[in-house]
Amino acid sequence: MAASALELDDAFLAMAADWRGGGGGCDEAAFDAHARALFAYQVRHNEPYARYAAACGFSAAKPPRSWREIPAVPASAFKDATLATFDVARAELEFHTSGTTDVVAGKHFVERAALYDVSLAAGFDRFVVPERTGLRFLNFVPSPRRQPHSSLGYMVGYVSVLCGDGRAGYFADGAALDVAGFTSALDDAIDAAQAVCVVGTAFALLALLAALETAKRCFAAPAGSRLMETGGFKGRTRVVPRDELYRRLESALGIPQASIVAEYGMTELLSQYYDLPESRSSTLRIKTAPPWLRTLVVDSAGAVLAAGEIGFLRHVDLANRSSVVAVLTEDRGYATQGGIVLVGRELDAPPRGCSLDAEDLLALRD
Amino acid sequence: MTELGAAQIVEAIADAAGRWREADFPARVRATRAVMERSGYTEPVVAYALDRLFGAITKTALCATIVGELGSLEALDGFVARPGRPDARYAGLELVTIISSDTTIGVAIPPLVFAACAKSNVVVKDRSDDLVAAFVETLAAERPELGAAISVERWQGHDDPRAAERLASSDAVVVFGGPAALRAIRKRCRADARFVAFGHRTSVGYIARESLNDAGARRACAAAAARDVLLYDGEGCLSLHVLFLERGGPSEPSTYSRSLIDALDAEALSFPSASEQPAPATAAVRDAARFRQAQGIGDLYPGFTGPHLLVFDQPRELPPPLSPRTLAVYEVDGPADALAFVRRHALPLEAFALCGADRPDVLAAAVASGATRIARLGTLQAPVLTGEHGGVGRILPFVRAISKDR
Repeated sequence: MAASALELDDAFLAMAADWRGGGGGCDEAAFDAHARALFAYQVRHNEPYARYAAACGFSAAKPPRSWREIPAVPASAFKDATLATFDVARAELEFHTSGTTDVVAGKHFVERAALYDVSLAAGFDRFVVPERTGLRFLNFVPSPRRQPHSSLGYMVGYVSVLCGDGRAGYFADGAALDVAGFTSALDDAIDAAQAVCVVGTAFALLALLAALETAKRCFAAPAGSRLMETGGFKGRTRVVPRDELYRRLESALGIPQASIVAEYGMTELLSQYYDLPESRSSTLRIKTAPPWLRTLVVDSAGAVLAAGEIGFLRHVDLANRSSVVAVLTEDRGYATQGGIVLVGRELDAPPRGCSLDAEDLLALRD
Repeated sequence: MTELGAAQIVEAIADAAGRWREADFPARVRATRAVMERSGYTEPVVAYALDRLFGAITKTALCATIVGELGSLEALDGFVARPGRPDARYAGLELVTIISSDTTIGVAIPPLVFAACAKSNVVVKDRSDDLVAAFVETLAAERPELGAAISVERWQGHDDPRAAERLASSDAVVVFGGPAALRAIRKRCRADARFVAFGHRTSVGYIARESLNDAGARRACAAAAARDVLLYDGEGCLSLHVLFLERGGPSEPSTYSRSLIDALDAEALSFPSASEQPAPATAAVRDAARFRQAQGIGDLYPGFTGPHLLVFDQPRELPPPLSPRTLAVYEVDGPADALAFVRRHALPLEAFALCGADRPDVLAAAVASGATRIARLGTLQAPVLTGEHGGVGRILPFVRAISKDR
């Protein structure tokens, strides 16, 4: 008999609680069984996904034999269809992908907020604040009150409450940064010897650095402080190499590079990857995730690649019960011992010709 | 340079280009290999590019262009009378700098030859394949004065001190590149320098319903479009990325799309991709279209003979896919639909390609689209030298007009 939403959620929440408590969470067999149960549930309750799965040769009657075969929707599918297993009028959370005003945003509806909350709290605890101290969050991401449909804003808002000292500040409003507000808040934290957690997108952090360097200001953040880079360069070419960005952040804020963690997540997933702690002092940062988020690296024909070979990332996230369990991204990387390594466009073959591409189109609009 | 007459310069340039039209000319053989190595394009593609480039540089074409823009060739050597206007002479600007993009084949050569015809001193930033340097060597062999007036250099980015010096002292700067490169270079130019920018652009085509009246025309149109899509892997500003098909003809757009993919399959045999796998951007377009197809939105036709792709009637609110070897086909009721799409996505157009006889409303849409060239489908990648480039003249940017009262 097929599992119900409640049974699937209970199983997932138990898995996450086990892992958060120091257990294994789920092994390969448990992951496989749960992923296939989610597929069976989703093709019954999510019509657009069922249609896509059928086009890929799978259905409730002909299910994938393993989690590796589960058809993954492209991330862009969230713009083309409502990918939900429930009446979205009942969604507890609704996240929108970022997009310009004239481009359709994707929407990810979440039936139970607990699925997201538990998944992100477990990952954040383990990989960013293992000691769970009360940090002061200084955030260069949108405040969840101002942008309620930003998954990044929600995530940072949630962990700021969960792991914070109750005095979180938000210093980004759209593209504008409140640098004066940030420096004042950081000065206060330093005076109080209160460790901080600075959170920001790579673009925002670069803008912060430019402002601090112009003002010739640098800080010595209290011991135990850390920084979480999130959001990357949003699919655009990385304008500053990561090593350089982190080196400059260390100089400006006094937060050691080993305490800088990059998070990799997306609106379409409810679980996240983080830099593996052991790799944070290395130039090669390996991304790791809770055991309920697994990733296959595939080539452009969809074939799974061997470790070390660069391809597209196809994620299977057991927290995505109420949407789609498997999502294919345009992000690229390779599998390695302990996780995955993301690669930027700088490793791609250089573009040729004088044709416009999507990045140019964005740059022209900017 | 000033000792040479314009006719002598034209003659020397045409003769040098003539040597490069020979497939076995040793410098061309070496350059072909170097361009293939640098660009990754297959040999047929590079051979086509060099044939087209040097095939266009003839004495007739150079003279016709100069006469068309300046009135006469002699106006480059001395004052000439003009009916109803003062006499005029065109003096070449002292220094013209041409910054070739790293991503194209020989685009710096046409402005180089016209700047040379204007008797300007020319500096060209070349790429690793040294194609421009090799052509300039041939020019110098024809006329040492030309070799002395043209300097081909390699710079390490725009911050190279030599680059900064050249840009700051140039009277005209011709630049090929993306938005960031154009902005960065413009900042380094003299305030009063002429800045001729050829940014990244794209091209579209329009097939009117009456163009598909007979089977022969349908096949010819499809083959023409396929060539424009696949040459240079669809990575040129003259590559066909978007094709509008008019409803109501003898072949409905959805049916005709199948003819188009057949034509792409056939053309890919002549101009194959260097890779069997689609480019990452093309794969992403294909995956998104596959999901939409399952929802009953649009259609997709992956290539059979190579990694090309045709996507049909994707949502209009999304920008067209601008990925390599990809053609997006949209069915439209008329040219106003096509124009609305171009404007909605603010597509900077290089060319608007037509098929069959000119229809006034289609021509009007092409003019209104912002394109700088209206071309025949199938010839997008073969612009004639006698036409303007990017909306500006060929030699006019490099000359100073001097009028003399009688």
